[in-house]
Amino acid sequence: MKRALISVMSLALLAPAFAFGAEGAESEEEFNPEHDFEIGEWIPIHLGPLDLSINKAVAYLLLGTACTIGLGLLLMRARIGAKNEVGRRQAVGEMVYDIAQTQVAEQGLPHKAIGRWFPYVATLMLFIWVINIISFIPLPLSNEKFTVPGTDLELPTLALYAATSSISVTLALAFMTFVFTHFEGIRYNGPVKYFKSWIPDVPKVMYPLIVPLEILGQFMRLVSLSVRLYANMLAGHMLILTFIGLIFVLGNLFIAPFVIGAATLFYLFEVVIVVSIQAFIFAALSAIYIGSAIEPEH
Amino acid sequence: MFNLLAQEAASNVDAGKAIALALGIGLGSLGAGIGIGNIFGSMIQAVARQPELRGELQGIQWLGFALTEAVVFYGLIGGLLAFVLV
Repeated sequence: MKRALISVMSLALLAPAFAFGAEGAESEEEFNPEHDFEIGEWIPIHLGPLDLSINKAVAYLLLGTACTIGLGLLLMRARIGAKNEVGRRQAVGEMVYDIAQTQVAEQGLPHKAIGRWFPYVATLMLFIWVINIISFIPLPLSNEKFTVPGTDLELPTLALYAATSSISVTLALAFMTFVFTHFEGIRYNGPVKYFKSWIPDVPKVMYPLIVPLEILGQFMRLVSLSVRLYANMLAGHMLILTFIGLIFVLGNLFIAPFVIGAATLFYLFEVVIVVSIQAFIFAALSAIYIGSAIEPEH
Repeated sequence: MFNLLAQEAASNVDAGKAIALALGIGLGSLGAGIGIGNIFGSMIQAVARQPELRGELQGIQWLGFALTEAVVFYGLIGGLLAFVLV
């Protein structure tokens, strides 16, 4: 059992290298890491000025949503398999729940709001974790196609892509938190008291200087929340891609062991640490923002 | 002749942009490196003094780590924007 797991793990580690390698070998043109982050347009849907086309990012988001729902059902509800296996899955599910409750919700939200906002922050955490983790599994969802040798069958090449490495996705998630924050702030405190709580305790002379800064600060939260996740995922993928791409840029096969080793190291770092941390941070900061709007300090 | 000069100037601008991007990211990661070192150093000290607080401190530690680490990426995105747009 353990040996099988180890061999599957090492195979999985080789997969991203091959996925990138295949892509580099396919295209004869200049190596360009930005190429991998173009989302394309698979099923065009245009409603007037609105562009609701299904593209790569949307496909990944749909897949991520299905995986999140499936994961939840599998861990907490499914009664498949032997009895101790069900119990083990349940234990994993409860561990995730425990982290979401004690580390995320109770750190940021006041006691009276946990019942209402715990589902939101827990969903954010799980959803972002799932779309981050499936972005490190090579999937046949890419814009480039290759023909199977001997037949006319055209299949998309394997590729790594994160829906969260597109700023539109993370900005939409951050915007939800932004709207909920002010909605709850106004609902619990009333508009006058809530907007007054933005103004810190300073002499009145300082107001013209401080008030615009505070208002700007509220919008900076939106930027920092979205750019943090976006830039982390983009930089992570680009780093791995650039390392593998060095083989093709320098045109030298002898550096392959070194760069693939380095890329695997970064891949492991991303999968083990960055993916979970970013999901946790996004949910924790959302909880803190909503909590601080419900119970302002002043 | 003028064509050649223009080409030279264009490639010089590209080289300058590349150097600026690399320098910017390098300096940005310098600051973030110091910050992350501070966070983990303080965490080690705190746990050495009061090991029973480890669980509570861990959440704060990772929060601080992610907030500091993100600074590098702000630099990276700013640098890339400048590189592509200017």
